[in-house]
Amino acid sequence: MGNNKYKILIVEDEANIRSFIKANLETSDYQVLCAETCALGMMMYASHHPDLIVLDLGLPDRDGMSLIQEVRKTDTVPIIVLSARSNERDKVEALDLGANDYITKPFGTEELLARIRAVLRSHRHSEEKESSPGGKFRLQDLLIDYDTRQVFVGKEEIDLTQTEYNIMVFLSVHAGKVLTYAAIIRAVWGYSDYGSVKKLQVNMKNIRKKMGVTPGEKRYIINELGVGYRMLAEDE
Amino acid sequence: MKNRQRQKDTLFSILIFGSAFAVNLLIQKLFTTQTLVPMIFVFGVFLISLKTHGYCYGITSAIVSVFAVNFAFTYPYYVFDFFVEESILSAVIMLAVAVSTSTLNSRIRDQEKLRAESEKERMRGNLLRAISHDLRTPLTSIYGSSSTLISKYDALPKEQQLKLLGEIQEDSEWLIRMVENLLSVTRIDGAKVEVVKTPTVLDELIDSVLMKFSKKHPNQKVITQIPEEFVDIPMDSLLIEQVLMNLLENAVFHAKGMTELMLSVSLAGDKAVFEVSDNGCGLPEDALQKIFTGSYEKSAAPVDGTRRNMGIGLSVCAAIVKAHGSDITAENRKGGGAVFRFALERGCEDDGQ
Repeated sequence: MGNNKYKILIVEDEANIRSFIKANLETSDYQVLCAETCALGMMMYASHHPDLIVLDLGLPDRDGMSLIQEVRKTDTVPIIVLSARSNERDKVEALDLGANDYITKPFGTEELLARIRAVLRSHRHSEEKESSPGGKFRLQDLLIDYDTRQVFVGKEEIDLTQTEYNIMVFLSVHAGKVLTYAAIIRAVWGYSDYGSVKKLQVNMKNIRKKMGVTPGEKRYIINELGVGYRMLAEDE
Repeated sequence: MKNRQRQKDTLFSILIFGSAFAVNLLIQKLFTTQTLVPMIFVFGVFLISLKTHGYCYGITSAIVSVFAVNFAFTYPYYVFDFFVEESILSAVIMLAVAVSTSTLNSRIRDQEKLRAESEKERMRGNLLRAISHDLRTPLTSIYGSSSTLISKYDALPKEQQLKLLGEIQEDSEWLIRMVENLLSVTRIDGAKVEVVKTPTVLDELIDSVLMKFSKKHPNQKVITQIPEEFVDIPMDSLLIEQVLMNLLENAVFHAKGMTELMLSVSLAGDKAVFEVSDNGCGLPEDALQKIFTGSYEKSAAPVDGTRRNMGIGLSVCAAIVKAHGSDITAENRKGGGAVFRFALERGCEDDGQ
């Protein structure tokens, strides 16, 4: 067997869920490790250094959040959180702690696979980008040229304000990752105050308008209601 | 909330008392008679006791009125003179009016509260009954199909196996939808009546709904019409998303002959009006009233227990919209088809610039 397969660690206490995720990932050519508790997950992580962690938040021994915290102290390995639907606060907390994406239970296997692919890909890219900013970002017919600070949709140049451009850069550098309102505000304005979420939302509305995106089209940026925004990964 | 009410009550009391006083002055000028004076004050006290909350406004206004009669409208004018027997008697009468009106009033209020409570209770009961009944069908099918697959695995031809698996999947999807609705109901249940509202950008809400909808129904196009400008509306976005989703799916499942499904939002004053309309078969007249209570389905449901039950989805919609302090309505369009409509308050406009 090839050793170049991605290693994915699943931390989930429900045996049935674990088993179907495992079956699915293995047939999609990933190497899969399983852990049913937080402690076991930490141990597996330390000894196997997986390329990605799929983490359920409701674990019997400790809260999954603590695992994210623990891992993020030293590592940028992508983490996808499995969360129950009704709790935006959990999602935001997990993302702010450093999780890359979340997926809401119940989910389809296709959806999970797509997220895994996107997160792995964007992780690879952002590592490259962090070391050498500049170059170009391409997504569908969207093109961002970091060197000349220009944004194009098709052939047309989009006239963005400084703030709008900064938002686009931040989203695109982290394409594939859900960014919370707080994270974007921190990156773009450096501080946050009352009303800054609205300021961000107004800017996003203008960006969408300038790019000619209407609701319901899956183009460029996904709205995660009450949580934040996510730019699509490059060939999602 | 409490403070506001207190302010309102106080203001109202002062206003009524002031008017009573003014009317009396006027009458005194015009007719030079005093027989009407106590009556008008009694009426004022009655009004105040009727419209305010608690006893204190009525009683206070009664006492103040007695003083006013004594001071301004009995001889000697503009002097307090408490040795007039009349004034003691009128004080007693006014107090009696104030106390009995307030008592009656609070009793009515209590009853109203109880009625609202039992109405909510009834709605919840209906929902639970409908849902538990409806959960059994897909569960039976999932259990049956999977057991068959396990016990007869080798005997079944491959396409038969796939068919059974497909049914399991389909029924699970239906269960998911059901449980989402149940979760929504429990979210608005609980001790607090009001939901937690956060300002939600209309564009983003509609975008999110459409994305989810097209994932489930890729072939159904939805025509959307929303205002151009930046609109944010305080709401529990997950719940309103669920309402719109339910309404759209309801049209897909029930509006026979539909070719056009439309989701539109318009602004009317300080409200945003949401509409989901189709050009399908419309709703039977007798359903229009009962459709949101969850009680319609039982009488009219086809005997085969068809799982495309609209009762639950729509009563969940009604409950959610109600929790947002509004109402949902359904009507038939003139040209055929149905339209579902509800409005949300836009809240005060403060910009964060």
